[in-house]
Amino acid sequence: MSVRQLAVAAALVAAAAALPLVASEYHQSFMLQLFMMVALAQAWNLISGMTGYVSFGHAAFFGIGAYAGALLLQYGFPWWLAVVKGALIAAAVSAPIGLLTLRLRGPYFAIAMLGLNEVARIVATLWVDLTRGGSGISLSPALLPGLSVNYYTMLLLAIAATALVAWIHRGRFGLELRAIREDEGAAEMVGVNTVRNKLSAFVLSAAIPGAVGAVFVMYTSYLNPSSAFAASLNIQMIVMVMFGGTGTVWGPVLGAGIVMLVREFLWAQFPALHLALLGAMLLVVVLFLPGGVMSVFARRKRMRPEVITRESR
Amino acid sequence: MAIGSILSVRNLHRDFGGVQALKGVDLEVARGSITGLIGPNGSGKTTFFQVVSGMDRQATGEVIFDGAPILGLKPYEIYHRGLARTFQLSRVFPQLSVLENLIVAAHRKDRGARSRALELLARVRLEDYAEVLGSDLSYGQQKLVEFLRVLMSEPSMILLDEPAAGVNPTLRQTLWDMVRHLNGLGTTFVIIEHNMEVIADLCREVYVLSEGGIIARGDFAAVRSDERVLEAYFGRARQ
Ligand SMILES: Nc1ncnc2c1ncn2[C@@H]1O[C@H](COP(=O)(O)OP(=O)(O)OP(=O)(O)O)[C@@H](O)[C@H]1O
Ligand SMILES: [Mg+2]
Repeated sequence: MSVRQLAVAAALVAAAAALPLVASEYHQSFMLQLFMMVALAQAWNLISGMTGYVSFGHAAFFGIGAYAGALLLQYGFPWWLAVVKGALIAAAVSAPIGLLTLRLRGPYFAIAMLGLNEVARIVATLWVDLTRGGSGISLSPALLPGLSVNYYTMLLLAIAATALVAWIHRGRFGLELRAIREDEGAAEMVGVNTVRNKLSAFVLSAAIPGAVGAVFVMYTSYLNPSSAFAASLNIQMIVMVMFGGTGTVWGPVLGAGIVMLVREFLWAQFPALHLALLGAMLLVVVLFLPGGVMSVFARRKRMRPEVITRESR
Repeated sequence: MAIGSILSVRNLHRDFGGVQALKGVDLEVARGSITGLIGPNGSGKTTFFQVVSGMDRQATGEVIFDGAPILGLKPYEIYHRGLARTFQLSRVFPQLSVLENLIVAAHRKDRGARSRALELLARVRLEDYAEVLGSDLSYGQQKLVEFLRVLMSEPSMILLDEPAAGVNPTLRQTLWDMVRHLNGLGTTFVIIEHNMEVIADLCREVYVLSEGGIIARGDFAAVRSDERVLEAYFGRARQ
């Protein structure tokens, strides 16, 4: 990461940290949801953007973390432990699932993950003894931390997820993941342990939504199978990453920020049309900027050496 | 296993449904040699590489590399044991830079990977392309980068599948010069190549595959005049 990028990141974090001092609860809630989407988008970016395994089911890990968090809070665990365990439980569940599904390629993996989310929702609906089924779990306010705790925890998760992606991206692990995305067979042929790498990326990318889900349930104080395992959450992760720039460090941050702000604006101005307008905007970006908004910044890299030589020497 | 062999293959079989791509191949590669593998289109040359490199794990038989059996091992395990191969159709990583293409192929613990990658690129005069994406290279450059890529692990043996196909004459010369240079330093090569001048020039020993079986072995001059080889290539005296 360049010094300039670090400076921008530090400024963003400082602004986000100071916001609760001046902003209304409404704006804090908006920002909390933005942090949540940044963290989720980064998780999706890790497995799907960097490794190329497109998941349509990452909400499953969000839901598992949310249920784990809700139940642990009810059992009397402190909120922070519920968040940590939410991440660990989602990661633990993801390992055997990854072992099975990561053998599949392309659309087969995507569909298997979609199926996973559906199965998880059905299990949550039918396992009434544990989850109270469709009627859902309401958490007593006495068990829950206040808005500012949720706000800062979600902010921390967004930062941690982005830092994790940045660290992986610049290191050997990230290079191997990107090689897998480009050509898995060739990667294996030049010494990349594809199974171990894919599984590590998958488990990390499940732990993040696990923690996010636990914080989410502290924030909403209510959880049912369709809010925990919402297909629309998957779509949002994918849309935001693609919008910002798949496989990049800042793309998911930018994508989550722009999409949420524009959606908020469109919803206020054109309540009936806001989703259609958002869809049109996404279409324009995908058609004309296939690398997402980040590709505007990354143009230089694509230049051939003749051009680089002329410009920079 | 014959004394001095680095690779020893016994009775290798591979069927694709009805097609017997390899039917009982026996082959020995002397340590430090350059061995040629030739044969008509579809005779099983690439399949042989696929099996030996671990990409294809459906074969039966025995493959001994450096004294240990490797049939059934994963490609990355075989690679880290010192046996590398290139693909007939170039498979550089398109959205990785040329430098990243090389570094990813080094051993994980290798701290000097970056500087050696730059050195290798300089040796084939591609140093200005270090930051260029793989997809922005010409096809010939891609094949050359794929060759440099496997050198990053300093393998003791390299299987080259038509490395010069689609490469312009200048780069082609660079490629063969490098093969000769590395062989002088002790690297063993098996080369699939359709250009017989190159085979005659480089290879001490040549194996000829036809319809999945070895029909001749020996030095190029002997192999060239072998009746069965002429028949396989030109269909002479065929019923
Ligand atoms: N994946 C596969 N599935 C089915 N048949 C295959 C497969 N790979 C190879 N074959 C068949 O096996 C035989 C040997 O093919 P192979 O590619 O090894 O030949 P080759 O000697 O490398 O030919 P060329 O000189 O054209 O590269 C051919 O008949 C081919 O059609
Ligand atoms: Mg071939």
